[in-house]
Amino acid sequence: MAEDLNWAIGGEAGDGIDSTGKIFAQALSRAGRHVFTSKDFASRIRGGYTAYKIRTSVDEVQSVVDRLDILVALTQRTIDENLDELHEGSAVIYDGERSWDADVPEDVTGVDVPLKSIAEDAGGSIMRNVVALGAACEITGFDVEYLDESLEKRFGGKGTQIVENNKEAARLGQEYVRENYDLDDLGYDLETTDNDYVLLNGDEAIGMGAIAAGCRFYAGYPITPATDVMTYLTGRIEEFGGHVVQAEDELAAINMALGAARGGARSMTATSGPGIDLMTETFGLVATSETPLVIVDVMRSGPSTGMPTKQEQGDLNMTLYGGHGEIPRFVVAPTTISECFWKTVEAFNFAEQYQTPVYVVADLALAVTEQTFPPEAFDMDEVEIDRGKLVDEEEVDEWLDAQGRFRAHAVTEDGVSPRAVPGTTDGAHMSTGLEHDELGRRTEEQNERVQQVDKRNRKVETAKNEEDWDYREFGNSDADNLVISWGSNEGALVEALDYLEDEGIDVRVISVPYIFPRPDLSEEIEAADDVIVAECNATGQFADLIEHDVLTRVKRINKYTGVRFKADELAEEITDKLSEEVPAQ
Amino acid sequence: MSSDVRFTDFKSDKQPTWCPGCGDFGTMNGMMKALAETGNDPDNTFVVAGIGCSGKIGTYMHSYALHGVHGRALPVGTGVKMARPDIEVMVAGGDGDGYSIGAGHFVHAVRRNVDMSYVVMDNRIYGLTKGQASPTSRSDFETATTPEGPKQPPVNPLALALASGATFIAQSFASDALRHQEIVQKAIEHDGFGFVNVFSPCVTFNDVDTYDYFRDSLVDLQEDEDHDANDYEAAKKVILDSEKEYQGVMYQNENSVPYHEQHGVTEDMSEIPDGAPEDAMDLVREFY
Repeated sequence: MAEDLNWAIGGEAGDGIDSTGKIFAQALSRAGRHVFTSKDFASRIRGGYTAYKIRTSVDEVQSVVDRLDILVALTQRTIDENLDELHEGSAVIYDGERSWDADVPEDVTGVDVPLKSIAEDAGGSIMRNVVALGAACEITGFDVEYLDESLEKRFGGKGTQIVENNKEAARLGQEYVRENYDLDDLGYDLETTDNDYVLLNGDEAIGMGAIAAGCRFYAGYPITPATDVMTYLTGRIEEFGGHVVQAEDELAAINMALGAARGGARSMTATSGPGIDLMTETFGLVATSETPLVIVDVMRSGPSTGMPTKQEQGDLNMTLYGGHGEIPRFVVAPTTISECFWKTVEAFNFAEQYQTPVYVVADLALAVTEQTFPPEAFDMDEVEIDRGKLVDEEEVDEWLDAQGRFRAHAVTEDGVSPRAVPGTTDGAHMSTGLEHDELGRRTEEQNERVQQVDKRNRKVETAKNEEDWDYREFGNSDADNLVISWGSNEGALVEALDYLEDEGIDVRVISVPYIFPRPDLSEEIEAADDVIVAECNATGQFADLIEHDVLTRVKRINKYTGVRFKADELAEEITDKLSEEVPAQ
Repeated sequence: MSSDVRFTDFKSDKQPTWCPGCGDFGTMNGMMKALAETGNDPDNTFVVAGIGCSGKIGTYMHSYALHGVHGRALPVGTGVKMARPDIEVMVAGGDGDGYSIGAGHFVHAVRRNVDMSYVVMDNRIYGLTKGQASPTSRSDFETATTPEGPKQPPVNPLALALASGATFIAQSFASDALRHQEIVQKAIEHDGFGFVNVFSPCVTFNDVDTYDYFRDSLVDLQEDEDHDANDYEAAKKVILDSEKEYQGVMYQNENSVPYHEQHGVTEDMSEIPDGAPEDAMDLVREFY
């Protein structure tokens, strides 16, 4: 198991928790250590408890665990919230000069640092968090110089004086601890490596994937936890000839994205569940007018406005079945942050190859947490772009009817029609959400209706045959115990394998990145004695699909507290499930 | 090609199913003539429409077109124009489409000043659902769903546009073919959002706002030499005049800079490389 360190800073929203955490995470990443971050935050701008947690190791880390080694507590509540995770070797950095008395548990080492007054000495009390970072460096044996680069990145725009003051603040924090405490017994000594890593979250990976895939237009409406996609694209996509519009609402956002796609641009919108509800009106139009469009749903706890800042995987049915009538669509679901990049690239290809809307379904745990990767994990040379049956001026001729009209919705064997973008001579045509003939004109004629419905559904059949609906596999492929999951659970499951191995339990893990179409798992399920589906929702939406596919009952692990799975917790749950009876048919 | 384009090139071979005598025939003819007259052709034109009688227009015209969902035509037009600044975009809708379900989009499309023309066929009634009150119906207009009238004042779309920062506001009458065409042409030629509210009478359900009513009461601003469309105060006066109804260009801001020029959106977004952009690895390095 990885020799890892778990660090956190907690306080009130508005205390700069997020940026302080990010500065430390980047420093660790620059020092060649793997980093996995998580956030506890509430849906408010100021006040309330908020924390930024970092798990770091020289080995890969891809989940959170129930353990905290170093805690920077800017409030008493930070300690109270994390009591269960503190242990004998933990250190809590706090400011005894502050108005609260730090109530540090007896077996935990309290490190009282006058954060505020040291920060004032360095140039301003606002830097108290950076003083705490310096203190944390001293306790963990981490070279404070690694902080410098991330301080420059964070504060560079504010001038060299600010950067220098922050560097000084970190050093003063480090010195204070060195001079006043002897913490060698805690035994922390962070190893560094020469490895190069990049540190990013899922929303950013989705945005980067979109640019790499040639997305040029994005319209969206701010919503937690999808907003970072728009923030990332703003100011960047322009450098590649694209544009971002912050629309007046989600209805406008998806319609703008649809318009740009009709114009021939690779186009995308991103939102969370409540926004998907609004976009569903236009979703059917996108599918029926056969417009290629990528729609990102970053799931949060629902229903309704639910818990905006909490994890859930509850929108699967919505993306699979949402919208009236029968709508062919693709649903892909990245399982890791790097997959957020690759699945977005793939989504754009599917959208154009099959002229359908494609949902990219990510979850909050993927979207807002950061993880380190070698840059090659995003090798841009590997990005391939397939624009499908886009016809140019010459190819248009093959698709004209006897009157010279372009058959934009021609009935074809593979279900995919030719596509002409505005400006293509002789390609002018209309498309509509009404049922239509091959020319795109409204029809209620029974044969034409059936032909168009069959044609659109045939795309899915074609895709099922032509694409590789693969899955990711971990653990022992011969094991009798099979655990299936989707979305962000993969990381925790992979790490849970280590815990299970220690218990002598042999498990095969299958992580599925495609919801529809999806891989056929019947052989894998038949080969196993015990099948468990783990997901972050109450009813087991993916488990329902699996049962439907193989007509057999599976066991379920469901978590819907608003918090992602943890590796050790999953290991325990799996152990318990294995001893349970299979539910009755 | 544009020099030999005739307005009939914008006609499809589908016969309209509008009621005989519907104002939408005249509205559409003027739009097609205005498009041809301003040097456009079906292959470089995109027409977006919503739902209702007005929404059928995309079927009867020939161009690149999308017939979308109720009230959302303006965002679609905005998206098309962003992706393709080289394409002429015209959005058509009705009073329900534009001022009821789509009122929010109307306000924001106006303030964005996207370079497209927006033609609203205002018949002051819901026709396709068989005669209910619309947002522009008079407050005493009796219908099956409002037996004593809507009892609320109608929306003044021109004032709504003015308040939202419009750079071009005009009104026309479907039956006054030449003036209607001229006004739509000016909307197309305007650098920014060209808004035209067209009185397009519903002969089946509206017996108040009829051809005769508009013929007798409309004041033509072209005949009022004192009206200067560049004068905001003068525009405000006619737009807020509750005694009379006008046709003509009420307001035009000659300093209008369309959205795509303000924001540097000038590229044809339909053309992209075969793989990731050349310097895409820089995007990854940003995360060091």
